[in-house]
Formats: sequence, structure tokens, C-alpha cells
Amino acid sequence: MIYFQILANGLMLGALYACIAVGFSLVWGVLNVINILHGTFIVLGSYIAFFAFRFAGIHPFVSVFIAGFVLFLMGYAIQSAMINRVIAAPVLITLTLTFGIDLVLNNAMLVAFSADYRKINLPSPLPSFEVASIFLPGDRVAAMGLALLLTILLYFLLRATNVGRAIIAVRMDREAAALMGVDVKRVNAITFGIGALMAGATGALISVIYPISPLNSSAFLGKAFVVCVLGGLGSVPGALVGGLMLGVLESFGGFWFGPEHAVTLSFGLLLILLFARPGGLLGKRGYE
Amino acid sequence: MTVAKLSITNLQAGYGDVQVLWDISLEVNPGEIVCLIGSNGAGKSTLLRCISGLVAATSGHVVVDGKDMTNASEAGVVSAGIAHVPEGRRLFSAMSVHDNLLMGAYLRKDKAQIAEDLDLVYSMFPVLAERRRQDAGTMSGGEQQMCAIGRGLMARPSLLLIDELSLGLAPRAVELLFERLRQINKGGVAILLVEQDVMDALALADRAYVVNRGRVSMSGESKVLAADPAIQEAFMGLA
Ligand SMILES: Nc1ncnc2c1ncn2[C@@H]1O[C@H](COP(=O)(O)OP(=O)(O)OP(=O)(O)O)[C@@H](O)[C@H]1O
Ligand SMILES: [Mg+2]
Repeated sequence: MIYFQILANGLMLGALYACIAVGFSLVWGVLNVINILHGTFIVLGSYIAFFAFRFAGIHPFVSVFIAGFVLFLMGYAIQSAMINRVIAAPVLITLTLTFGIDLVLNNAMLVAFSADYRKINLPSPLPSFEVASIFLPGDRVAAMGLALLLTILLYFLLRATNVGRAIIAVRMDREAAALMGVDVKRVNAITFGIGALMAGATGALISVIYPISPLNSSAFLGKAFVVCVLGGLGSVPGALVGGLMLGVLESFGGFWFGPEHAVTLSFGLLLILLFARPGGLLGKRGYE
Repeated sequence: MTVAKLSITNLQAGYGDVQVLWDISLEVNPGEIVCLIGSNGAGKSTLLRCISGLVAATSGHVVVDGKDMTNASEAGVVSAGIAHVPEGRRLFSAMSVHDNLLMGAYLRKDKAQIAEDLDLVYSMFPVLAERRRQDAGTMSGGEQQMCAIGRGLMARPSLLLIDELSLGLAPRAVELLFERLRQINKGGVAILLVEQDVMDALALADRAYVVNRGRVSMSGESKVLAADPAIQEAFMGLA
């Protein structure tokens, strides 16, 4: 029975991982940009939730939308003003650029917010409950539900809207997309904005569960990277499957080998997968 | 005198330091079929790409419906009624046929008209209707070319630029495509066609231009050009 509990914990964690990774994956798949800023975007989303809660009493689950909106604008601006200028350059150039912006932004956060870990203490957390003797903390379940909802919304945005189709078209053939009248630079900015939006929203979700500090950003980036390798690039279902797998894996790994080895395990798996299936498990240069 | 749909004067363009087009002048009137012929690497594709905004002109003018559109954006050219069916078709291969067609109407807002035009394309190419949910990249070459032309039509153009209609396609598919171009043209759409099969192209077109190493070396009515011994020797393997 304990295994069902571990599986449930893993799925709750995995939904968050999927949400952490899906924006990163979209930006990498569509723009061919490895966005080092992604982890910092997530932390920023957490801080927005933190301050909104402290100064205005806004529940972090409501801040999901505020953080998403703010981060979208920020991502859009960064892509239009900076990354678009070198978007045609090799991937190492754009990676270096986002690395540089990340240094600036992350250090600015350290100065502004300090490296101290902060925590949101909800005065009235959602009640926990038990299903078939599996213990389910209410706030974590809600966070998982919201994470899944955001991921599914992104899936439908890409699949069923004009903007989504344009993003996919740019991903498949930017010149052909331009011939359809798509403003490729604008679509680049929207795509990067959506990546940042997903990061910010996830940051707000996570703030209910984990302590907040600028130092977390590289751990988030690492998770996003592993999930992308597991699930394949630029695919929403891929990120979902990859995220859930990683969550379950870490959960069982932590149980069998001790929680301190969970990360070692996931990166070990990453190495094995890079050898065995460089395209990812669902790796198909496709639609989603 | 009517205003030309497309009028190009002394156009020069290229890639970086390499100049490809030299002093090109050319005209397409409303409702006309014009074909461009020339050997490999002559610059035909570059010319079409320059018209649609993918390649920058270094000098000269591109005028559409009397309005200067030199170095306009791709979107501007589409809005001016020019759709480009590129060499190699360039479909969005992992998107459905239906979504590919919708991409052709990307700039349009008239929902009802778009639905009408979709029906029109589907009735013109019934095989596309059968495969509307299929990924475009999984179709045969001929079907893909139909999809590419359909996608172009979805922009509601008054001028269709088509680059290499028949390249690599089965003869029966080519025959059907030529037939459809005639039909599209009857509906009032002008066509600027780049085509390897010079005999068929000249039979279809009203007028033609011969492009030779980036310059227009000859032009005139297709009938006259088709009878020209120099053309016959160069492109039709007749002596
Ligand atoms: N992207 C590019 N960068 C640099 N040079 C190019 C590029 N595309 C084409 N060229 C060069 O421009 C010249 C004209 O090419 P273009 O494709 O316009 O010829 P074409 O008449 O369409 O030939 P084909 O019949 O083979 O399609 C060629 O010498 C080609 O090498
Ligand atoms: Mg060509």
C-alpha cells in the first residue's frame, strides 16, 4: 500500500515538473533557444505570489494569473528587444545571451530580496484528505490540478487558435510561415512570452509548497532540462509525460535510496537516455 | 490602359555580396498567365522571392496595382493580393491538410468567406477533402502540390506566384494541375508561373519571359516564343 502513496506523491510532484518544463520546451523547440533564464522566471513568479500574499493578502492560486501576465510581458519584451537580434545565430550565441541576462536578473533578485528562504504560510490551508488510505494534502492536490489545467490550456492554445497555428508553423518552416503573412519576429516574442508565462505561473503554484529563494533557479532549470530530454522537445504531451515520469521516478528513488539521492538518480537517468534515445521518449519533430 | 497587377522595373537583388538579378523588368496584367523560363540557377526563384519579400531588392522597383511595394514585408505582399507557392512546396508537414489550408488564410478576418473558399479548394481538389485530417507531409508529391496551391488560394490572391509546378511529379498529376491552373485563371486570378516543362508552360501562358543568368534575355507572346528556333533548341531539345 505504501507504493500507492509513493506513486501519488510522485504524480503530484510530476505535474509540477511538467509545468516547470513545458514553457522551456516550447521555447527550445520553436525558437531553438536554450533559455537559461527559465529558472529565474519561475523564482520571479514565486516572489510575485509571495509579495502579493504578504501585502495584499492575495492567495497564491490567484497570483498564478498575475504572475503569468507579468512574466508574459517581460518575456515578450526580452525577446523583442534582445534575443530577436541574434535569433538566426547558432544556438550557442542565444544560450550565452540568455545566460548573461540570467546573471543580471538573478543577482538583481539576490540584492533586492536576499538569498534567504521565504515561505508563504497560508492561514487556512485546504484540508487534507485520504482516499483508499492514500494521504493527499489539499494544497498539493490543488497545485497539481492547476498545473495540469495550465498545461492542457497551452495544448489547446497551440492546437486550436490562430496564434497557436502560427507558432507551430514558425516552428516547422519559418520562411513558409512568413509567406503566409506571419510576422515571424512577433511570433517569436509571443512564444518566448508564453514560455515565461508558464514559468511565472508555475512559480506562483510552487510558492504554496516550497520555500522561495533566487538560489532555486538552477535546480528548476535542471528539472526542465531533464524533462525535455525524457519527453522530447517542443511537445506539450511530451513535457507532460516526461514530467510525470520524473516525479514518479524521484519519488520511488527517494524511498528506496533515500531522498538525498533523488537528484543523482534523475541525472543518471538523463545520461542513460541521452545515449539510448537522443530524441526523447516521445521525440517526434511534430505538431504539439 | 489598365494598371498592371505587377510591374517590375530594373530590379537588382542577390544574397549578400553575390548579385543574382540584374536589371529585371517584367509585367503581369490582371487575369493574365505569364511564365518564366530559364535554365537552372538563372534566378527565377530569386525573382519570385524578391517579389514576395523574402529577398531584399538592392535597386529597382516592384509595383503592385500601381502602388510601390519594393521591399515590402511578406505580410504586406500577401495583403496586396499576391500569394506565393514556393519551390519544393514547403507545406507544414506535420500539420493536417486542413490546418495548412487555414494557414493560407492567416491574415484574413472574414470567417464566412474563409469557409466558402475552403469548400472551393476542396471541390477543386477532392483528394484534399478526403485527407483533410491527414498530416500534409504524408501525402504524395502531386497531392502536396495541390495542397500548396490550395493554401495559396486561401489568401484570396489576384496573382498567384508558382515556382516549379511539375518538378518530380507523375505525368497524370501534372496534367490535372495544369487543368486546375486554367480553371483558377478563368476565375480571374493572374498567374506567374516558373516551370521546367517549357512546352506545357508556353502552351498554358499568354506571355513568357526568358531569364538567363539573372537577366531577361527574351520576352513576348508564348505562341511566338514557342516557335522561336533559339528557344526550341535551348529548352525543348529540338534542333
Ligand atoms: N540562399 C541563397 N544564398 C546564396 N545564394 C543563393 C541562395 N539561393 C540561391 N542562390 C544562388 O542564386 C542563383 C539563382 O538561384 P535561383 O534559385 O534563383 O535559380 P533558379 O532559376 O530558381 O534555379 P532552379 O531552376 O534550379 O530552381 C544561383 O546561383 C544560386 O546558387
Ligand atoms: Mg528555382
